[in-house]
Amino acid sequence: MVGTNESIVESARLGSGLGTVYRALDEVVDRYALDDAALVVEVPGFGRQVMHAGRRPLHDDEHAMHTAAPGLYLWPAVDDTILSDLMVALGTLALRHDAASP
Amino acid sequence: MNVDELELRLRRLPGVVAVGFVESDALLLVEIQADSDAGDDLPRAATALAAEHSARPVAVEVVRWGEGGPSTHEARLRFVELTTDPAVGELTVRLARGDHEALGRASTAGGLAAAVEATVYAVRDFIPDLPYLPGWARTVETTPERRFLVVASVTDPMARTHLRGVAEGATPIEGAVRATLSALNRTLSRDL
Repeated sequence: MVGTNESIVESARLGSGLGTVYRALDEVVDRYALDDAALVVEVPGFGRQVMHAGRRPLHDDEHAMHTAAPGLYLWPAVDDTILSDLMVALGTLALRHDAASP
Repeated sequence: MNVDELELRLRRLPGVVAVGFVESDALLLVEIQADSDAGDDLPRAATALAAEHSARPVAVEVVRWGEGGPSTHEARLRFVELTTDPAVGELTVRLARGDHEALGRASTAGGLAAAVEATVYAVRDFIPDLPYLPGWARTVETTPERRFLVVASVTDPMARTHLRGVAEGATPIEGAVRATLSALNRTLSRDL
């Protein structure tokens, strides 16, 4: 059995969807020793949403996330389709969950 | 309201695409990236939400983008690089729009204002009749992560108007360049 990241699991159990997404992005950045990461999702009721690691501003959007297709964007790039699909699913569910929460 | 709730409420505002935060002891900077669906009242609505959330002073920066096509980001100038040459006492700012790059230079003797000056000079390569002159820049906060929050100002002497931008950078100089570009980019898209 593959080990679990308790902080992400704990966040998913007790925290918000958005908080869990940012925790997951931080974990990806740490795990792959990346410079940066961002997640783009399309969610009904929200439209296109960009989540930047660390909740940092996009400033001049030098990576053109504004017009990027849904996906996980990593710098430097990491070719991991499964990770990208899972993160997009997590981000989408997170916003839907938070929107439905009282 | 915690930061998750604030971010969610901001993302629910029409046209909001991304929300970013820079928190310091003295200020909460909220950067909102918005597309063409955003209404004119977005800054007011976002500021009201942020002020409700934070006990500290709040600065809300709304970055608006164009019609949503694949090249809308090209309606803005991008910060590419900042270099300094201590031997010559000069700093160089490189900006880009698409494949077009331009440089602006200024003497480092001017301190943070030199970053504003070099950025304005680089912008003039894209917009020769840019009415704004370099103004000033000040570091307003250093974050716990050693990022520098900087406010920069440019002035149109004929219209007697000022544009001010807020941005963070790895150094105060970089923050000043980004803040200057942030101030100017709000009005540049129609001229590009």
